Amino acid sequence: MANGEIISGFIAPHPPHLVYGENPPQNEPKSTGGWEQLRWAYERARASIEELKPDVLLVHSPHWITSVGHHFIGVDHLQGRSVDPIFPNLFRFDYSINFDVELSEACCEEGRKAGLVTKMMRNPRFRPDYGTITTLHMIRPQWDIPVVSISANNTPYYLSMEEGLGEMDALGKATREAILKSGKRAVLLASNTLSHWHFHEEPVPPEDMSKEHPKNKIGYDWDMRMIELMRQGRMDEVFQLLPQFIEEAFAEVKSGAFTWMHAAMQYPNLPAQLHGYGTVIGTGNAVVEWNLVKAGLARMAGKAA
Amino acid sequence: MTIVSAFLVPGSPLPHLRPDVDSWRQFKVAMENVGEKLRASKPDVVLIYSTQWFAVLDEIWLTRHRSLDVHVDENWHEFGELPYDIHTDVDLANACIESCRAAGVNARGADYESFPIDTGTIVACNALKVGTPELPVVVASNNLYDNQAATEKLAALAVACISEKGKRIAVIGVGGLSGSVFTTAVDPVEDRVVKKVEDDCNKKILSLMESGNIQALREALNSYAKEARAEMGFKHFHWLLGALDGHFKGAIVHHYGAIYGSGAAVVEFSI
Repeated sequence: MANGEIISGFIAPHPPHLVYGENPPQNEPKSTGGWEQLRWAYERARASIEELKPDVLLVHSPHWITSVGHHFIGVDHLQGRSVDPIFPNLFRFDYSINFDVELSEACCEEGRKAGLVTKMMRNPRFRPDYGTITTLHMIRPQWDIPVVSISANNTPYYLSMEEGLGEMDALGKATREAILKSGKRAVLLASNTLSHWHFHEEPVPPEDMSKEHPKNKIGYDWDMRMIELMRQGRMDEVFQLLPQFIEEAFAEVKSGAFTWMHAAMQYPNLPAQLHGYGTVIGTGNAVVEWNLVKAGLARMAGKAA
Repeated sequence: MTIVSAFLVPGSPLPHLRPDVDSWRQFKVAMENVGEKLRASKPDVVLIYSTQWFAVLDEIWLTRHRSLDVHVDENWHEFGELPYDIHTDVDLANACIESCRAAGVNARGADYESFPIDTGTIVACNALKVGTPELPVVVASNNLYDNQAATEKLAALAVACISEKGKRIAVIGVGGLSGSVFTTAVDPVEDRVVKKVEDDCNKKILSLMESGNIQALREALNSYAKEARAEMGFKHFHWLLGALDGHFKGAIVHHYGAIYGSGAAVVEFSI
């Protein structure tokens, strides 16, 4: 089967606070709400996913860190309880995830052919990281679309940012090849926060929004600068500024998901749709979409190529 | 002296998941041997700090009485699972939390089913046979924003707090030595410390530990952390220094070697 394509890509950040604020039945801790701006942003992203009807969601998370290569979950189904090691008071989530093993294997193989070290994760008792779970829940709470889960190889931290992001570029291109050959319509999810300066104390209760604001001006200013460039479709400038953004805003995009996603989409200079922005314990989070169907670069569901 | 024994052990799962690899099995054997020495020192509780338990907002302490689960390492999942059954002295852990707060350190407990206990804590408990009903543990997280000095203070604070209760303490720092690793697949039989300069740094720092020359050791620590890319700035050793009030007479290196390119050692301190 051929004619697979990437139909959209999202920056889809993973603060567990968003799940906590929403109170889904899978999450044990209960809240009185909070972080509405970001949760409403995800509502708009969910509507887009509903319209796009993808066959598969691919997610790259900075909280599955691997030192030897890029890993892909290679079991059909995983279920269990995920507890956030940093915010266990907010996120104790019963997950049940179906994986698209065929596409995972194809991504793994294309990555290997591109010269990357890749590995399939076959252990049925493996516990996916909370970043992956949070992003998936916030983008598609029905959990009815199969998933490809990709680890964050730590080369951007272990080697240099340039070398590390070069790996993510190659991973993105390999992912694209696998998707094209699969015949499937795929949505990419870059599970990343933008500026990552944060507070070191949690308010009581955690959802007290009177305490929520950007940790510092430099982080906020950088977020606005980058988002505005994204909104204008000036992605070349975004990528030129990316190393400085990462350095000065301590941006989590360093872990590679953002570069992976845009490499897979061939770095389109398309205006992004900002679904919303908000802070979580001071970090900057944006839900941002590059919809390739609306841009005329991909098919609607059911339309032949 | 309420500290009755002190040890530095690696937190990698490879010696425990792949004991068929001779060089890795030697770590497992050394850890089992120092476990016997630890238990022979007759502690009431074992105070553990593992570099792999990350905290960010505040200092988290394990406050679950019994943590029973099966762990799969995020890197080495293909080699199997690490079952664990860890018993915590919850009263002492809560006392440490209160002591932190009194000292102005934000702290809280983690008492949750399926809380993700880190690989380092699990392999240390399993290999040294601690965290049992008879020999419970108190486990502290590695706050990523704490530096070496803050880690020493944290350990000293915990020891003072537990000592006030009249308890005998064994202390363990869980983590590696040099931090460079192989980033591609290698045959385990071919494993070695990936950079000679790091190998040399490891041997020098271990020699200083053996000598018990604390002043020389302290003078070397900063450059060691940088030149050897020591795991987490070698904060697990600073944890031991803090717990021991900056004093020990010498050390026995039970095993030194490589784990996938990084340096690691099993060290027993003479106190």
